[in-house]
Amino acid sequence: MVVRIVTDSLSDITPELAKELGIDTVPVYVRFGKEVYKDRIEISTDEFYRRLVHDVAFPTTTQPSPGDFLEVYKRLAKEANEILVVTLSSKLSGTYQSALQAKGLMEGEKCRIEVIDSQKVVMGLGLIVTSAVRAAKAGANLDQLVDLVRKAIPRSHSAMFFDTLKYLAKGGRIGKAQGLLGSLLAVKPILTVKDGEISPLTRVRSRTAGLDYLYKFVAGFPKIEELAVEHATTPDEAEQFAKRLGALYPTDRIIRATVSPVIGTYVGPHVLSVSVLEAAA
Amino acid sequence: MKQVGEISGQDLREMFAAATNWLEKSSADIDALNVFPVPDGDTGTNMLLTMRSTVEEAFRAPDHSASAVAKAMAKGALMGARGNSGVILSQILRGLAHGLEGKEKINAADLAEALEESSAQAYRGISNPTEGTILTVIKDVAHAAREKVAENGSDLVALLETAVAAANESVANTPKLLKVLREAGVVDAGGQGLFTILEGALHYLTGEEEQMRFRKPKIIISDLPATKLPAMIADDEIPYGYCTEFLLKGEDIDTDKIRKKMEKKGESLIVVGDESAVRIHIHTLDPGEVLSFASGLGTMHQVSVRNMDEQHQGFLEMQKERAPAIDTAIIAVVSGDGLADVFTSLGVSAIIPGGQTMNPSTKDLLQASEAAASDKIIILPNNKNIIPTAGQVQELTKKTIHVIPAETIPQGIAALLAFDYEANFDTNTQLMDKALENVRTIEITRAVRATQIGRLKIQKKQAIGFLDGDLVAVGDSPAEVLNRTLRKVNLNKAEVITIYCGADTQRTEADELAREIKENHSHLQMEVVRGGQPHYNFIVSIE
Repeated sequence: MVVRIVTDSLSDITPELAKELGIDTVPVYVRFGKEVYKDRIEISTDEFYRRLVHDVAFPTTTQPSPGDFLEVYKRLAKEANEILVVTLSSKLSGTYQSALQAKGLMEGEKCRIEVIDSQKVVMGLGLIVTSAVRAAKAGANLDQLVDLVRKAIPRSHSAMFFDTLKYLAKGGRIGKAQGLLGSLLAVKPILTVKDGEISPLTRVRSRTAGLDYLYKFVAGFPKIEELAVEHATTPDEAEQFAKRLGALYPTDRIIRATVSPVIGTYVGPHVLSVSVLEAAA
Repeated sequence: MKQVGEISGQDLREMFAAATNWLEKSSADIDALNVFPVPDGDTGTNMLLTMRSTVEEAFRAPDHSASAVAKAMAKGALMGARGNSGVILSQILRGLAHGLEGKEKINAADLAEALEESSAQAYRGISNPTEGTILTVIKDVAHAAREKVAENGSDLVALLETAVAAANESVANTPKLLKVLREAGVVDAGGQGLFTILEGALHYLTGEEEQMRFRKPKIIISDLPATKLPAMIADDEIPYGYCTEFLLKGEDIDTDKIRKKMEKKGESLIVVGDESAVRIHIHTLDPGEVLSFASGLGTMHQVSVRNMDEQHQGFLEMQKERAPAIDTAIIAVVSGDGLADVFTSLGVSAIIPGGQTMNPSTKDLLQASEAAASDKIIILPNNKNIIPTAGQVQELTKKTIHVIPAETIPQGIAALLAFDYEANFDTNTQLMDKALENVRTIEITRAVRATQIGRLKIQKKQAIGFLDGDLVAVGDSPAEVLNRTLRKVNLNKAEVITIYCGADTQRTEADELAREIKENHSHLQMEVVRGGQPHYNFIVSIE
């Protein structure tokens, strides 16, 4: 029995890491005007942020088509008997629907496919996927992986420190953080993903206070299985912060990642995010 | 795509019957939107009752011509009109009947022309038309319809689609035109009602009656967030008095003359009708006077006098139910419109006016606590002298009250920002209490009398500076004193400085100060906000 794992580019698992893990990431699309790019593959993070800040056109994003998933399923089906697909929250994107529709198109094929809505995004999803990869390598089959992923979902937590809500509001993904808009003071919001939607945690007035909040957020979990730190345009700050988190979790084991261009469309530059996968009780 | 070239009088009647059913489904939701002119929460119901009377009368039309049916409908609307929006709706239908006069059937051009009559008639019936209401919506609809017909005008479906889209946009825009709507974060209820009626008519025309049975009309959402709770809106407008309505029948009734006479007797006056029947609607403190005046002009029918203050209470109850269930409500004591807006924008549920020299009573705080849509209340007194008053509220209510010992506005804001949406009440009160330590406050005001404090000699009216409540500097100009007070603070550790300018202070002065501070401390993030507070030229927070 061979089982393969598929996720989307909003897991913030880079193509390089995906290759190392032996999984596939289906790219979401980002569009500037009439130009369409595959997330991370056809547009780099650096190039993206340069355009986000300087271009007049505001970028939009598009879910992968069922065909994009189908192509991956068909290729994998040649060598695998089972495929596990874990997508970002269905409340933030139609990616889950595309993955499901593609599964429908595979009916009659021998390969078994299970699609799961992770209700998460960024490394909150990425950490769930990497834990599934570890289990698969240890010999877990599809049913066991489905069970494992479902149990991992409530143990995955993210906190994202935004420099501004401008991009999230423009992109229409603001969710329950709506109430944080319209503040008459310059405040920086800290958001999480709750029940698949963007939800507010708190607001701070300075970067130092924001980093302090993220630190306390991580410290609030007594047993951490995995920890990730992500940034968009501030690698030095992210690295320093990872060192600071060393007091809570071995620094060398902290996964460093950058948010993908599609995520960048909503979070804007200067975002810093932490994701925690709690150890199972 | 279905196309309809023309419709008969029977179709017109059926179309309005379908629209009435459609309206019925959302009349309760429309009631909950109602804030203008008086938040009494019955706009949806009133429009529905008006529409029912309209359709009933339509069946009594002498023949099936469009002209006869429209005329009967107008009569029915006039006879059955209820409330402000009902009366305006009746005017819209009257204009429609006028526009369709003599028509056997209706085509798109006829309807567009009739809608223009509707708009004109609606404005004529009102003594002082207010924009951002159903009036604006019918005007925008008529305008869009005329343009559509000019462009390619033979399809009634396309015309109604244009009308519905125009109504949608116009309704969504009402909060921008009318402050009370903006403050309550809702769209105009009457406009919403008209949109729903048009939408219902369109569904009939496209043959979607079957589907309508299982769907609900959409309520257009205000895209501006609420800046005040409904409870705050009416404070300066009480009392409302009595909503008085009746139908006056007689001969040779002069509507203009009645309108002139009535204008001085109350608010929201509407006088509509013809020589034989006039509908009158007025909000007055003395309904007896209004009725006795009218009884001399003819016979009165369907007389209704309702106490609006009672209705308003009912409306507040309804609003409370409609408001999102927040786990914790935060109440802040603030003076200054700018500061009130800052606190509101950061999510407090209610503002109680007060501060230095005008402390609110325990009763004020208790009432706000009782009115809040939560059983768990956090109070931000933002003044040393108000903390004890706030402390008494707990003994007088069953709700759980926590008073954050914020002695200044900056402390109150710091506490408010520390609120954690995912944390429980106890954790939040701890977080907010602790946040007070992270901010320092400077207040600059003028001495009310000559005095000496420690080594500082102060003349009357001199500018004086407080750092966290202690008097530390004195001088002639507020700006100079602010600079001197700032020197007592270690700014190297600070990150954000916010200057709230007072009611009598020029913003440019604060901007200049901010620029100077930034020059000497380039790492600081400076923000200048209009606070509008009395007494204090500047309130400064250092975080």
